[in-house]
Amino acid sequence: MKLALAIASLIVFAVHGVVFYDQFFHKWERYQTAYFDQARSQARSELERAEMEARRPRIEQILVTNFGAARVDRCTTCHIASDDPRFSGLSHPLKTHPYSTALGDINQAGRWVRRHKFNDFGCTICHDGQGRGLTEYYAHGEDHYWPEPLIGYTVQHTWKKEYQKFLKGKEYMQANCAQCHTEENFAGTPLIAKGRRLFFEKNCYGCHRIEGISDGTLGPELTEAGKKFKIDYLWESIVDPRAGMATSFMPKFRLTEDEVKALVIFLKSRKGINLTETSLALFRARLNQDSAPPAAMSQPSLPAPSLNLVARGKELVEQRACAACHKIGDKDGGIAPDLSFEGAIKDEPWLLEHFKNPRALIPDSIMPAFRFSQADFEAMTAYLISLKAPTPPASPAEIFKLFCARCHGEKGDGQGPVALYVDPAPRDLTKAAFMNSKPRERFVKSIQEGVPGTSMAAWQNVLSESQIRALVDYIFTAMVKERGRELKARNLPEQNPVPSSPQSIARGEQTYLARCTGCHGRKADGKGPNSLDIVPRPRNLRNSPFIQSISDRRMIESILYGIQGTAMPPWIDYGMSQKDAGDLVNYIRSLTQASGRRQLRAGR
Amino acid sequence: MKESKEVPRRSLLTWVSSVALFGSAVISALANFVFLKPRATYGAPSRFSIGRPEEFPPGSRIAIEQRRICVAREGNQVAVISTTCTHLGCIVAVSDTGFSCPCHGSRYDQDGNVTGGPAPKPLPWYQVKLAPNGELEVDTSVEIKPGTYYTV
Ligand code: FES
Repeated sequence: MKLALAIASLIVFAVHGVVFYDQFFHKWERYQTAYFDQARSQARSELERAEMEARRPRIEQILVTNFGAARVDRCTTCHIASDDPRFSGLSHPLKTHPYSTALGDINQAGRWVRRHKFNDFGCTICHDGQGRGLTEYYAHGEDHYWPEPLIGYTVQHTWKKEYQKFLKGKEYMQANCAQCHTEENFAGTPLIAKGRRLFFEKNCYGCHRIEGISDGTLGPELTEAGKKFKIDYLWESIVDPRAGMATSFMPKFRLTEDEVKALVIFLKSRKGINLTETSLALFRARLNQDSAPPAAMSQPSLPAPSLNLVARGKELVEQRACAACHKIGDKDGGIAPDLSFEGAIKDEPWLLEHFKNPRALIPDSIMPAFRFSQADFEAMTAYLISLKAPTPPASPAEIFKLFCARCHGEKGDGQGPVALYVDPAPRDLTKAAFMNSKPRERFVKSIQEGVPGTSMAAWQNVLSESQIRALVDYIFTAMVKERGRELKARNLPEQNPVPSSPQSIARGEQTYLARCTGCHGRKADGKGPNSLDIVPRPRNLRNSPFIQSISDRRMIESILYGIQGTAMPPWIDYGMSQKDAGDLVNYIRSLTQASGRRQLRAGR
Repeated sequence: MKESKEVPRRSLLTWVSSVALFGSAVISALANFVFLKPRATYGAPSRFSIGRPEEFPPGSRIAIEQRRICVAREGNQVAVISTTCTHLGCIVAVSDTGFSCPCHGSRYDQDGNVTGGPAPKPLPWYQVKLAPNGELEVDTSVEIKPGTYYTV
């Protein structure tokens, strides 16, 4: 018992001693004492020596109030010789901060004068880190490259060792220079300028929003990327988007190491809204017209249109990284449809309009609206139009593989490689219940003319009618497999029996709210609360190109008799009359007419 | 034999534990004294540099409001005088005759001695010297005898 007590009390004593030592004998005190000793031995006068003798270690701090929120930097507590030129030969922490003409320091008759005085700027404004920390761990983080890049990026738990070798170098400091030097082409920050140029050249701006610079909505907002993410994470997200999030559909861009580095540094410099880039500042700059279009809006100029339009379009399509998502020839981004024979399935006005506003033609498309010039769009359209289809192979199976499988999948199950990114999703051609409930003529027509408002293209210029019929037969024998019973046409009016009127639309709306919102949603955008569990997804009834393309008869039939193989029930079983369905059709058409008008107005 | 050995061992253990416990208690008690004086503050640092001597031409009296000091230079002599009024702490203005406080009208002469108003004490002088980087460094935690100048 006594032995245990003795041991325990000794342990307590030892722990107390260690804590006491740790708390009252600081490393920085030792550094400062060493500094005082050395400074004393170098003193040139008796007075100076006496002063050094009198100095006692204490916490040194710089209070920076000139820029934004006040910050306290206590770095000089350890780095006490940072502004004492006599210590340039020593090692950290007792080392003079190097002088550099690149930083604006000037050498006046052998004596250096700093441009960025530590008194005014502090340390963390350039070096990052925690200015208040008084130990290496709290001040630097766990960064063995310090002070070359920014402090503390390795402390995150997702730290990737593979990228370690890229993350070293003084260049990363530019991200912090750019906090104050916001001019677009500031000489000291060439990599920021390069990164910004790449942000436009590689079309990052199409998906990502940076306040004042771009307004994409597909990808995460990057306005504060520099504040939120560390450089290894940024690097990883650019070179391997799926490493951090398995569901990311950001394409892998073909970038050189230098380009990735420039982008990382540019993103690291985005730490919030830069007032010089707000729309007000841009507007003012435009009003003053003193220089070329203001920073953010200006697109990097590409080589002047040299050859003919098609060649220029090809150049643009290649430079602007279209193949990062689309497939063109042997380049395949694996996200968006194949453009290798776009000229055969689309016409010029469609392409041009789709370039300007993809969602006007395919309302649920994820393709961003890029801000290219009209001339660039025309050149790219000309190039795409020049891409014709190869002569279709002889067998329907090969035709299917060549033209259809990218969306509908090799097996026709609607699970092609890009199916995830196509909305409305490609039809599952193996679903017998659906396939057998529709006449073959309808499939033939869909292939011939395409389905407006969706990614299904019109193939009539590529495939002859007999080829298409053979293809449909092939789909039924190889994919549907089950034979359906003979279909007989239902007795339904061709035209909506209820004329459209405000009263009819109001009645239709009542029915819609009561019966349809669960799946099609209150906004009729196909995103009702039940829609998540339903495959295929409920139709977006605001898809005006689609709604306008289908007949009253088909709509009434779908409402009253349901759509087999989908979640759409036959409403006739729930007591819905043809008149109710007619009101619904009027209501649904009124939605897209209104939105059609809106789009027109917006387009003008 | 066995018993006689047991007793010293026991008392030794008692000794060890009491010394150790007493020691820890003393350490803990002493440790509290560190809290008497704050080691760090969030305020302005007391040691700071104010620029190269050339920035203060001979004969000038330049007030640095942010730091609450006035730098007076005569020939190659420099002095730094506080501009915090000793009455209630307003920032005094530099005038031809010395300093004058806008709050309750205290007046000081060029050396900071009170010449009128409610101020109870003269303005303190702070230590100033040339730092190794060639800039003047002021330490407001060290007050010096009024009238002592530093030669640059
Ligand atoms: S504070 Fe200066 S006179 Fe009262």
